[in-house]
Parts: sequence; structure tokens; C-alpha cells
Amino acid sequence: MNKIIIANRGNSFFKVKGSKPLLHELRELGLDLPYGCQYGGCITCAAKLIEGKVDQRAQVALNNRQINDGYVILCVARAKTDCTFEIGVESHDKLYRNPFIDPLASHELKANIATRKDIKE
Amino acid sequence: MDGLCCGPGYASPSKAIQAPREKLLYTIAIYTGTGIQKPDYLATIDLDPDSKNYSKVIHRLEMPGIGDELHHMGWNACSSCHSDEKMSRKYLLVPGVRSNNIYVVDTATNPLSPSIYKIIDGSEIKSKTNLSGPHTVHCLGSEIIISFLGDARGEAPGGYLHLNKDFEIQGRWENSMGDIPFSYDFWYQPRHNVMISSEWAAPNTFMPGFDLEEVGHLKYGRRLHVWDFEKKKPIETMYLGEDGLIPLEVKFLHDPNSSHGFCGAALSTNVIHFWKSKEGKWEWEKIIDVDNEPHPDWPIPIPGVMSAILVSMDDKYLYINNWLHGDMRQYNISDPHKPVLTGQIWMGGLLDKAPVVNGVKIAGGPQMYQLSLDGKRMYVTTSLFSTWDNQFYPDIRTQGGVMLMIDCDVENGGMKINEEFVVDFGKEPNGPSRCHESRYPGGDCTSDIWL
Repeated sequence: MNKIIIANRGNSFFKVKGSKPLLHELRELGLDLPYGCQYGGCITCAAKLIEGKVDQRAQVALNNRQINDGYVILCVARAKTDCTFEIGVESHDKLYRNPFIDPLASHELKANIATRKDIKE
Repeated sequence: MDGLCCGPGYASPSKAIQAPREKLLYTIAIYTGTGIQKPDYLATIDLDPDSKNYSKVIHRLEMPGIGDELHHMGWNACSSCHSDEKMSRKYLLVPGVRSNNIYVVDTATNPLSPSIYKIIDGSEIKSKTNLSGPHTVHCLGSEIIISFLGDARGEAPGGYLHLNKDFEIQGRWENSMGDIPFSYDFWYQPRHNVMISSEWAAPNTFMPGFDLEEVGHLKYGRRLHVWDFEKKKPIETMYLGEDGLIPLEVKFLHDPNSSHGFCGAALSTNVIHFWKSKEGKWEWEKIIDVDNEPHPDWPIPIPGVMSAILVSMDDKYLYINNWLHGDMRQYNISDPHKPVLTGQIWMGGLLDKAPVVNGVKIAGGPQMYQLSLDGKRMYVTTSLFSTWDNQFYPDIRTQGGVMLMIDCDVENGGMKINEEFVVDFGKEPNGPSRCHESRYPGGDCTSDIWL
């Protein structure tokens, strides 16, 4: 069991087993979270990881900058340790950017086209 | 519908133009990606100027769950089955791009309060057809095909779902995708045995938002595809290159004998005109090129982003939008090789030319639009796609979308925003939502195809 703290919901916390992706476990425990595709391909369910480690190898939506900024695709991610998240659109301050004003460096692209991996554990 | 025959739609485009004025409009409105934990919904809007509810949302059909991202939609039947007395234009098929669900909405039993008739489950579509990311809905006589942009894992090129008239999954429509890399919109002209399809990107590419660099990595489209419609396979590619970056909406002229059609290349902000030559060869040319516009905060000029195009039922006018600039334009296409700019309006956009219209501050720009059959009234909405909205117009989260009506002069050309009509989706009961595509119960300028 890992403890999941939601920093922007009054530090409310939930105990998850890791048997399902975080989105499903947390929703079953009563946390109202957004979602879309439910396979890791869109960023509707993205949350920001403040502390802890997750396994989100199944996601294909985030570019490397978003990953380095702590974003996690909850519909496929599982907690590897206790984690603290910010959730919902309040956590999306760095998720969206105007791509013309703020371009990505080549290593910040999605993993399948980035020049080199530069992803935090 | 035209009083002469029995099935849905109209005997011809000229008959459609004579149809009664639209009284209702169905428009999708989304909460997906907005931060509001409510389902997307189909809004019914009162268009009767004699009604006390004119220009208001009079009904909201909520989907069963959150996260669909309703986007485009289409009718179960159109003028392509006008001769079939057993068919009627009763059901609106409303796909969720993200959820993969398709909602079949009964609009005929009570047009003022449509209801969900059937749900085609997104996971069933994936398991039976290996498709995800539904977009354009067209009827094929009494059958229905829907373009999907990805396979079940969200990878391109996707393909076409075939439903029968009872909305049962028949499998894939196409016999082959050939070497098509991406899917998006399509339109067909049966008398020429042709379908033209365009290219956006894989769901896994466009759903998270727009990374400009991915265009250079060939993750976005730049081609049109010519199909043998009867054989259900692509036979030719028109490579548009830099002139046709992200070719989205495809429209043939409504005249079923014509081979002329158009595509709006969103990022290049060009209109591509295509046609079949006398020798039977498919040709294309760029006929409209909207210049990028400078902006003090941008390192490069802003592209217009032409995300939609529309042809009036009389085939006289082509309408385009520039979502980032904030304008809509009307071109006379009597000579499709030489369009003439005849009208323009401004609403929202990043160039700050019309930040407030009819008393409503607009976040977003002109995006989707539907034109009345007589060509005189155009209903325009401002949201493109939740993640893309969030990148370019972050204020739309708190302000929501807006619908405006444009009066179009069909005799002399010209466009003018109607001052009596505005639907502010920022004031919806559950909070600001975003409006996108619209359809009229009696058919419209983007639904009907004649066999």
C-alpha cells in the first residue's frame, strides 16, 4: 500500500494498492478526477507529482518537458512509493504552452522523437 | 421533407435551399479539459426569432459520463437516401473523440428535448474494429461511415467504421488504407465514384495538444487522398507539401455532378482546390493563401489556422475561418479557380480586433460554423479542441465559448454579425462550457450528399 496525498485538496490522503492505475484506484476511493481516453494517449487526466515515484511507462501523451515538470498520466500510472500530487486544472500551469512563443528543445519532444532522453526518474 | 418524395432530405440542392427556415440548432458543448467535472452535452438552441427563448439554450442533453470530448457529429440519413421512404433524418450520431463512445441521439420524438437512443460503447468499437478517435460522420444511403484517426492504441492511420441503419457495428468500411499515413475528414461524390480524405494526425499526437515541432517530424498531415469509392480503397495521393500543412476539412460542391472541391489547410492557412480534369486526372491548386500576421508577443507572425471551411448550398460562396487571427471570410467561388473575397467579420482572435462582440468578451476565435440552407444565416462557435484551446486561449476556461450569428448577403456578397443573437456558454448552469459543431434538424450545408 502507498499513501497518496493530494496537496491541493487540503492534503487529503488515500491508501492505494497499486493493483490498478492511480486514476481508477483514487476514483474508487471517492476522489473526483478528470479523465478522457483512459489509455494514456491524452492529457485530460494529467496531475503534477510533487513528491514520490510512479511508473507511467504506458503513457504516450507527454513530451519530455512535461515529464520533467512532474506531470503524470493518472489513467496508466501506478505509484511506486508514497506520492504527493496536485490534481485538476489548477495543477496544469506548465502543462499547456503556446508552441509558437515557447518552443521545445529537441530533447524536450516526446520520447519517440526526442534527440536524447532527459527524463527524471 | 420537400413534399415531393418520401425519404429524408431533398431531391436536389436547389430544393434544399427552399426548405423552411431553421428553428432549432443542436450544438455540442464540452466540459472535458475545462476543470469542471460534468459530462459534455448536446445543447438545443432556439433559433425562432418569434420565440421568447430566441438565442437561448433551451435544453441540455448530458452524456452519461465525463471525458468524452464531443466534437463533430452527423445524421443517420441525409438526401443520399431521399428516395427511401423507410428512412428518416431522426438520429444524430455524436462521437466522443477521447472516450471513443458514439451516442445515437433521437432528435425526432421530441425535437425540443432530444434523448439518447443508443450508446455504441467505445471499447466495443476498439475490440471489433481496432479503431479510436472518431471524427466525421456521413451516411451512405441507409448505411453510416465514420472516420477514425487512430487504431485502438491511438496510432495512425485509423480507418472507417461501418454501421448499419440500426447502428450495429458492421466492421471496417474500407477494404484498404493503402499507404495513407493519417486520417481526418472525408467527403464523397458518388457520380464520380470518388471520396477525398484529409490528414490531421494520430490521436496520440493531437489529443495532448499541439507541439509545433512535431510538424517537422512528419507527425502531422500534408496530403489529400483520392479513393475509388465503390472499391473502398485509396488510389491516388495529392502531396500538398508546405502549401497544405494539416489539411483538415474537405468539401465538395453540393452539385452532385461537380468534381470540384476544397480543403482548408489549417497550419498553412490555405485553401486547396481540387477537381477532375477533362482527361480524368485529379488536379489541385492553392487558391487562397492567408498571410500570417505579426503580433508584439510572438517571435514569428501568427498563422490564421483555418480549421474549417464550408460551401453554401448554392455553391456560390466558400466560407473560411482564421481561428487565431479572429476573422471569418466569404469568397465568391463562381469560378472555383479564382475566388473573390466578398465578406469578412471579426470576432475574438489574438489580433485584438474584436475582443468584445454583442456585449460578450470572447476567448477563442471563429472555429466551427453551420450555414442555413438558404445561405443567409451562419452560426459560429469559438472552441476548437479542449487541449488546443488551453494552449492558445487559456481564458476560455473561465469565459467559456460563444455562439454568434452572421447575416450573409447571398445576392451581393457580404457578412455582418447579427446584433440580436448571442449565446454565451460562459453563463451555462454548470459553469463555462465550450461550444463546437452544430447541426439543424432539417439538414444543413455540411450534411447532405446527393447520389
